[in-house]
Amino acid sequence: MAQPTMAIPGQLLGPASKYQPGPGTHIHEANLYSSLLGTVNVTQPPKAPAPVKRLNKIVPVAAPTPAELPTISVSFSAKSKREVLPEVNNIVLCRVLRITPRQAVVAILICGETVLEAEWQGLIRVQDVRATEKDRVKIYESFRPGDIVRAEVISLGDQANYYLSTAKNELGVIMATSEAGNTMIPISWKEYRDPETGISELRKVAKPY
Amino acid sequence: MTDRRRINGPVGATFPPVFVYEGEDAVKETKKTRSRPPNAIRKMYLKTGVTPSASGSAYLEIETSAKGSGSGLKLSCTVHGPRSLPRSTPFSPHIILSTHVKYAPFATRQRRGYLRDSTERDLGTHLETALRGAIIADRWPKSGVDIIISIIEGDQDRESSKAEGDESWDMMNALSGCITVASAALADAGIDCVDTVAGGVAALVRNAADDSVSNIVIDPVPSEHEKILAACCIAYLPTRDEVTNLWFKGDLGASDMELYTSLVEKGIQASKYANRVLVECLGETVG
Amino acid sequence: MSSQHVLLSPAELSYLHASLSLQPLPLRPDGRSPTQFRPLVAETGILPGTNGSARICFADGTEAIVGVKAEVERTVQPFTQDTQTTQDEGETPAEDERRKEEVGGSDWVEMTVEIPGYRDDDPTTVFLGQMLQEALLADGEFTKRLRINGRFHWKIYLDILLISPPLSYPLPLLSLTTHLALLSARLPRLKSEGDEDPLFDDDWAASTYVYPRDNNKKDGKDGNNKVVARPPVTLLVMAVGNNIIFDPAREELAVADVALAVSVGEETTTTTTQTGGDDDVDMEEGSTPGKRRLRLLSVRTIDPPSRLTPPGVPNATNTAYTAPTGTAEAKTQDGARTLETERVEGVWKAPRGGAKVMVMAALVAKVLEKGGVADEVLDGLEAVDLG
Repeated sequence: MAQPTMAIPGQLLGPASKYQPGPGTHIHEANLYSSLLGTVNVTQPPKAPAPVKRLNKIVPVAAPTPAELPTISVSFSAKSKREVLPEVNNIVLCRVLRITPRQAVVAILICGETVLEAEWQGLIRVQDVRATEKDRVKIYESFRPGDIVRAEVISLGDQANYYLSTAKNELGVIMATSEAGNTMIPISWKEYRDPETGISELRKVAKPY
Repeated sequence: MTDRRRINGPVGATFPPVFVYEGEDAVKETKKTRSRPPNAIRKMYLKTGVTPSASGSAYLEIETSAKGSGSGLKLSCTVHGPRSLPRSTPFSPHIILSTHVKYAPFATRQRRGYLRDSTERDLGTHLETALRGAIIADRWPKSGVDIIISIIEGDQDRESSKAEGDESWDMMNALSGCITVASAALADAGIDCVDTVAGGVAALVRNAADDSVSNIVIDPVPSEHEKILAACCIAYLPTRDEVTNLWFKGDLGASDMELYTSLVEKGIQASKYANRVLVECLGETVG
Repeated sequence: MSSQHVLLSPAELSYLHASLSLQPLPLRPDGRSPTQFRPLVAETGILPGTNGSARICFADGTEAIVGVKAEVERTVQPFTQDTQTTQDEGETPAEDERRKEEVGGSDWVEMTVEIPGYRDDDPTTVFLGQMLQEALLADGEFTKRLRINGRFHWKIYLDILLISPPLSYPLPLLSLTTHLALLSARLPRLKSEGDEDPLFDDDWAASTYVYPRDNNKKDGKDGNNKVVARPPVTLLVMAVGNNIIFDPAREELAVADVALAVSVGEETTTTTTQTGGDDDVDMEEGSTPGKRRLRLLSVRTIDPPSRLTPPGVPNATNTAYTAPTGTAEAKTQDGARTLETERVEGVWKAPRGGAKVMVMAALVAKVLEKGGVADEVLDGLEAVDLG
């Protein structure tokens, strides 16, 4: 079925049995409709899905895997300044605002590839800082206000904050300044060093890619 | 309720002067009648993206009803957000919609203050109901969106005095315009909607005082008719064939249910016409 | 009240929705029939300082009082083209007079609603006030009664107070209380004549009712005089599935597909009884149920709070429940907020979109039905002793 190149909200895109709903679409009465004003994209699923693994866990009879269907989505094109929201499993970049013994409060700046327009607040709790030896973690040995942190969203959280985690090797502080005000360089998984004064400070350091 | 920090004009004490016309004929001529067929709406102009600083915006203009005199409806709508909610708000899995409808102080014959009065708040609630049904609220958890509509010109006839026209019927026209313009601005802001919602008004009117026959017209202009018996404003989703807001007002006997039904049907028809303009306008935005 | 959070889980909502959409009869949480109202206690004339007052207490504990106060106000004489020409040419002054008598300004009535915990300029409060006022002014009969003479009129202040916290959408309660308060409202008898400054009789016993009563007819057991005209009532009605449910409680409203507020008035019965000639008409107009001629005054859509309820997650997409392959898929879906799914039986999903036209029409028709709920409510209100 030929797809229109553009869609307005409420435009019929095709039956739900032939496509998988992507971003910017919704299902109504077994049909897919656009929910945004923008251009229509159809992405084919990756070829030859991996052979089904032996089930080692009892699962309910799952819905027919929709992975074979092409995904149809509508991307908002007009100004490309559409706001996006952080979601669970997203990798975000944020700046540490303040720290307490229990948590670090951060402002989320970038979600995925997109610079956010609005300011969303996040929270890295002490138990989410790293994966091992969680009880030994001290926030002031992991973050300092002003650090730029790469983190993962683990929950939409409470009314004000998203809950973030840095409990992975590649997550943690990616940019830090020393007490003397110089940009520091990472020297180990838990240390940053000021190249001018030579003093090192403790951080939860993100593993460089 | 008046704002003491501003210097307000005299409160409701003055009436705009009505000038006497040269001759008897001129006076007679000012009595307006509807020149459109009963099932045609006035021409409208809709454009999105008029306010660059807002996330989404739209402007709607409905042509002047009478020759030379009255002013048409001019609406500007801005959408701000989605943005984070204030700290005091409890967690919401949905987007929180807040609608503000405000007449400009100079939009109507009677000057409006800077604070929103009860009719403006009422319009805001109606608009919220109409839009709440159209947006997909769970796509934007924990966020809020502000929809602000300024009515720049209020579609009122300057020639009839304040005592004559009943402003309550003007509210219906204003609401239907608000719904259409807000729908365009929401699409422009990239907020997920199930459909493009548009507003339409139909009214049961009597054209002459002695006329016992009443008929239904869409997009009524109160000054063109002797008396409006009942009217309804509909917010309609065309592809889903659903109504998100219905506001009926008037006086109908319980035995006149057919009249009520056809009034609603005509309202939907008016909304479909407005939707055509909306779809075309949105098409231009993308293309 | 739509912004108020309903503290029900998706599972509870799903259960409620299912039981309310049962055919042929819905199963309501409090065991009422679909058209049954909550039992209520009503009394009138409770406030001696007012022109009329009423109190209604619903069985669920919500309670409202309404006070009616009247003040004499000078009628603003608009300088219009009409008066100008008639003065100049002496043309049909009688016609002009008749016109003036007919109209009453909509600003002759001021209605305020107060709900504890809500600001008085909160949209909900304003919406309720406007809705009740709209119904009262719809037929233009009410403001006509407020005219004193060409220069003066009564200004009526209706103050509606909800004295309990709003446990359910308070519209039916406020409307019924207002109805009774208006019925019991009395204005002092006018002693002056014509357009002179009004002078009133001090004797409260001689005062007249705003809604006049027919002294010749006694109404049933209470010995009340029959009320000739009645103020409108506004009923709240909602639809779930194929069922129409009246006077929904708060938790029922939380799963409503559509909710409407319908204002119904009663056609003014012509007072032909004095002549005695129209006996058969008179008999028909007696309080036999179903003989009442109802009028539809206003319909408003209420934003059902169901749109703001938290959705449930079907097992098929619940990553905590299915095989770990599901999580990998969900990760690729960045951008889509919640995974779009078809409606699954037993899993609550907040309704989207509006209501079908047919459903809305059916709701209104059900209210206006002969011998239907509006009739029943008006009958019930008639039985209230109007002290």
